[in-house]
Amino acid sequence: MFEPFTDVVPSFFGWLNQGPLTLTIFLHTVIILPMIWIYFQEKKRLENEN
Amino acid sequence: MASNHLTGIGSESKQLATWYFTFAAILFGAQLLFGLVAAIQYVMPGFLFEVLDFSVARMLHINALVVWMVFAMFGAVYWLLPDETGIETVGIKIGKLLYWIFVAAIAVVVLVYLFIQVGPADETSIWFIHEGREYIEAPRWADFGIVVVALGFVGNLFLTGIKGKQTGIVTVLMADMIAFAGLYLAGMFFTDNITVDQYWWWWVIHLWVEATWEVYVGSIAAYGLITMIGAHRKTVEMWLWIEVAMLFGSGILGLGHHYFWIGTPEYWWEIGALFSALEPLPLVAMFIHVLYDWGKTQGAEMNAEHTDEDNVRSVIKNKPAFTWFVLNAFGNFLGAGIWGFFHTLPQVNLYTHGTQFTSAHGHLAFFGAYATILVGMMYIAIQGTNGIKVMKHTKSSIWAVSMITGGVVGMTVALTIAGYVQVLVSRAQMGATWAGYFDGQSGMWFAQAMDWRLIMGAVTFIGFLLLVKDFLSTGKNPVHER
Amino acid sequence: MANKSVWSDNRFWQRSAAWVTGFASVLLIWLTFDTSAQISMGNDADLQNGVTKRVPGPTVINYKITYEMSQKRGHEVPIIGGNDGKGMSLFQEKETFFGRDDWSEEEAAELLHLGKLGTQAKNCMNCHTLLGNGAYYAPDLTKAWLDPAWGPNGSMQAMTGKDTKEEAMAEFLQHPSQYPTHERMMPNLGITAEEAKGIVAFLKHMSSIDTNGFPRNFAKIQGAVHGK
Repeated sequence: MFEPFTDVVPSFFGWLNQGPLTLTIFLHTVIILPMIWIYFQEKKRLENEN
Repeated sequence: MASNHLTGIGSESKQLATWYFTFAAILFGAQLLFGLVAAIQYVMPGFLFEVLDFSVARMLHINALVVWMVFAMFGAVYWLLPDETGIETVGIKIGKLLYWIFVAAIAVVVLVYLFIQVGPADETSIWFIHEGREYIEAPRWADFGIVVVALGFVGNLFLTGIKGKQTGIVTVLMADMIAFAGLYLAGMFFTDNITVDQYWWWWVIHLWVEATWEVYVGSIAAYGLITMIGAHRKTVEMWLWIEVAMLFGSGILGLGHHYFWIGTPEYWWEIGALFSALEPLPLVAMFIHVLYDWGKTQGAEMNAEHTDEDNVRSVIKNKPAFTWFVLNAFGNFLGAGIWGFFHTLPQVNLYTHGTQFTSAHGHLAFFGAYATILVGMMYIAIQGTNGIKVMKHTKSSIWAVSMITGGVVGMTVALTIAGYVQVLVSRAQMGATWAGYFDGQSGMWFAQAMDWRLIMGAVTFIGFLLLVKDFLSTGKNPVHER
Repeated sequence: MANKSVWSDNRFWQRSAAWVTGFASVLLIWLTFDTSAQISMGNDADLQNGVTKRVPGPTVINYKITYEMSQKRGHEVPIIGGNDGKGMSLFQEKETFFGRDDWSEEEAAELLHLGKLGTQAKNCMNCHTLLGNGAYYAPDLTKAWLDPAWGPNGSMQAMTGKDTKEEAMAEFLQHPSQYPTHERMMPNLGITAEEAKGIVAFLKHMSSIDTNGFPRNFAKIQGAVHGK
């Protein structure tokens, strides 16, 4: 299931590199996801203000 | 507070801004002049050989570029601070003193570059002549000077921002400028390990031009839209926050696209490729935002004056500055966005890395993203210091903007063609050897591209002369509404 | 205001900007620690024990260096001291550098230090590219040490009249304008014999850095002096 390392030294980020784009999609996801939480917090605040 | 921007008279901060702009314009000229020398050397390699070699001309070309932009950036902040915060800039005396220190230091550095050029292979050369690291060649003593000057500038910005009204624009600038100054420290040490050297070197170069400088441009564009066309502050600042999120979101890890081939691990291929591929998105956003706001405010103006259709006024209060700002929106997207994306994927970059492709991108990006908006700010300052209500184009302002833009676009196209020759002949076909390099360089397409680059460089320079003429004369021109 | 959308709310974007910037910065710092560990310079013991480092120790100048395809990596890698047949270095085969193949760790480090200082003081990067970065007025120096032009049958070595690659390179560096190779010439930069030695050591060391396969197909067209 897991791809073997091809780089010189194994590392966490090298391990996330499991095939086309896995590493970068993972990083993009963890950056974007918390914005959903911020969105709902702000939505609640706006509703309370009304 | 809102109408204060129309006049720089009586504001010491704005006076200091004009000093910064003046020296920036002089260095801009120096940049173009040494660029021309280097361009001539591509066409006639014997030109000034062992007098002012390509390495020296090129070092002065790119250093003058960086420094004039930093000067104009500092100037623009000193210009807008009183408008945004509603108070006079704190610590303006120190600001003025630091300005002269900065100017004197640069004069010394330039003279040493010109007349000493190279030193022996020891630490004294690094301390007193230059560091030999592209873009941040300034010798170590000047590094410390730059840090002191930058700290003074950031200090003034923070003290003013905290004491006065803290708008969104000021908040973004405060956060951005401290990162901008702090990052310089990453480029101040020596190491024998060239990979480590270039790793930190890119922290300065990339995190400046593809992150902090871009956010700076976002703030300046926001200020410009408010002052020039009366755009709605709340809308403008919302866009600014979106741009900050997108620029830093893509730009910070986009740094990875410089770590493909310098000895750093392979995982940077993915990180660099995808994050930097998203870097054009905020630039599209900025472009849309500028044109949208223009259309919106103009539309509102026309509705308000519907009784007199023939007499609808333009909402633009400074035509030349606004022209440069719109060019910035275009140029940033084209030069930084499109030309950057061309060669940002590792599969492509394997062959384009270190070719004239980079140079083509560099020319259009620095011009489109930074030179344009900073020249625009200079026009805003001319409007303010001369108490002009509505500033119009003059013949020379139109010729200047047309020739400079045409010249830079022409150089970019020529360099892109030269880059293709290098990629195909020197790289893909010949495998990047010494012989392969010169096979590519002596190809007809390459040689002709370099001829065109020189011609277009000359066009740019003539445009610059007209720009200076306009700077010096337009303030007193009776065409403007006062 | 009845129902204001979150999407047009300044606070939402402000907080998002702060989050994205902060988190991306944290990731970059984490990545920097990870990368720094991988790009720190190796030492002589690594070479003795056959440990492959991305940036080998300075004593790599005692070894034969080539640039060959690695099946595992899928691109060319520097091979130090002979190939095990699968694209891994054997760290066996030596090669003299200015007549010696027993440069001690201190001597080699000193030479590399001098060479690195030399490349900066002489402003190499504002004509050449190093690891692909710099100006584009002169050839890339990343694998210059492995360039066939400097090899036994190469035009550059023949022109300087020297018997070895390192001596030919050092001679050229000291008197570049005596050896016009092209209309575009390298100027005389006042490089001394000792500095030239250091700079050549720096170039040899740089050719041993694992650049993830850049440049691709290096010197393959001309009969591939060092590769296959």
